Amino acid sequence: MNAVNPASRWHARLDIDLAWRLDKTIIKHRKHKGPLIIQKPFYPEAETCHIYLIHPPGGVVGGDKIDLNVNLSEKAHALITTPAANKFYRSAGDYADVSQMFTVSEGAILEWLPQENILFDNSLVNLHTHIDLAPNAKLLSWEIQCLGRPASQERFTRGRLRQRFELWQDGKPLFIDRSTIEGGSEIELAQWGLAGYSALGTFIVFPSGQAELDIIRQTIISANEDFRFSSSLIGEVLVCRCLAHQAEPLREAFIDVWKKLRPELINKQATIPRIWNT
Amino acid sequence: MNQKVVPTMNTVTIIITMTETPNAQNAMAQFRLWQLISPALPVGAYAYSQGLETAVEEGWVTDESSAAEWISGILVNSLIRADIPIFVRLYDAWQEDDLKAVNDWNAIMLAMRESAELQQEDRQLGRALARLLIDLGCEKAALNRLCCAFVTQFSLAAVNWQIPLVDAARGYLWAWCENQVAAAVKLVPLGQTSGQRLLGRLMLVISEHLDAGLKLNDDEIGGVLPGLVMASAWHETQYSRLFRS
Repeated sequence: MNAVNPASRWHARLDIDLAWRLDKTIIKHRKHKGPLIIQKPFYPEAETCHIYLIHPPGGVVGGDKIDLNVNLSEKAHALITTPAANKFYRSAGDYADVSQMFTVSEGAILEWLPQENILFDNSLVNLHTHIDLAPNAKLLSWEIQCLGRPASQERFTRGRLRQRFELWQDGKPLFIDRSTIEGGSEIELAQWGLAGYSALGTFIVFPSGQAELDIIRQTIISANEDFRFSSSLIGEVLVCRCLAHQAEPLREAFIDVWKKLRPELINKQATIPRIWNT
Repeated sequence: MNQKVVPTMNTVTIIITMTETPNAQNAMAQFRLWQLISPALPVGAYAYSQGLETAVEEGWVTDESSAAEWISGILVNSLIRADIPIFVRLYDAWQEDDLKAVNDWNAIMLAMRESAELQQEDRQLGRALARLLIDLGCEKAALNRLCCAFVTQFSLAAVNWQIPLVDAARGYLWAWCENQVAAAVKLVPLGQTSGQRLLGRLMLVISEHLDAGLKLNDDEIGGVLPGLVMASAWHETQYSRLFRS
């Protein structure tokens, strides 16, 4: 594939404000610039607002910038997902910058469950997610990265992913997860690194306690031939990690975690967004 | 150079001695560093393997060479990318008496610990070192006793005893390596000579990479390693354990 010329680079920005009104969460305000949009929200489970985040170009190239700012005011509850994997194409030298900022007010619930990011060989990506929680806010959030395209025999031999996920509450850091994955470096095969797997995911559930940890440890196996899975409770942050050869088993494991913990955390059965089935 | 060379052996000896003898203050700083990084420092570091026990159990670390790969990989990609740049900032903050910065970096270090066990270990070592520093007359250790990461107290000790920053950072890594090698000798197991050879390799790794860690920018700090994180999380439920992490 040829590198894309600078004139076609996008800077997309989307700001969304969600608020609780009478009997459901509504989109109170939205503002977008460039190709990052949302459709009319869905309400498959009454009051909870399901939002599909759509990036029409379907892929991101070096030099592109995507800024997402989501604000949930008191008591709002939103499930935000994407209709398809986000692809990052090879870069001619510039980084693609993705910045996702969430503010979750008192008593509000955020479920941030996007489909996976696929990093083509030789892509350069900065991925930054920052979630600010007020007291009594709740969070279920996963992010999944796939390095290269194993189905097309394409490994991530060059390129770089700089990943940064931060969870803060009341101005204090609860969980900071930052890493750099250098294509073709020792991290890809080393046992302390990716151990030969090309998909990695982290699922955060907050606030959690021993009961939630026990449910996950008793029901999700820690390894089979397709993946490795682990869970740990750091303070009240439940952190599940998964390494797999492809996105599919990893996503299935995470959906399983979500189904088991959603009722515990927010007293609601998991309602699978229809778009995941297509 | 040449004009300083003097004819008799005796005089030459005297000159070398004079240039190389550190003054009394430097000598004290050096003694304090040795004390701080000694395996005999009573903070209990020997009880933690930081995931190595699981790596051995899983068959990922089986001999000297795989132990070297495991330890040096974590050293370069995690400690040098997280602990070291945070150490630099804490050292400066203690020197400036900037307690807000001390608390902020302390909180960031703890938030970067990737499993319950790794965070508990960090807090336990930090508290043990704080208690020791208070007993040794370093009152500032009391300021931060409730939320202390080990590196927060280590940097305080370094500033308190006037240990130069780079020496202290190198010492921090060395102490970690020594502890990991001791754990490897016990767990793999390795012979004592093999352990010493491993330390020799790790010295080179520290020398090669320390500088990069000292120079990282704020937004480059952090080095989460999926395999290590998962090993540590699995260790929390490992059936048979010698170590606390």
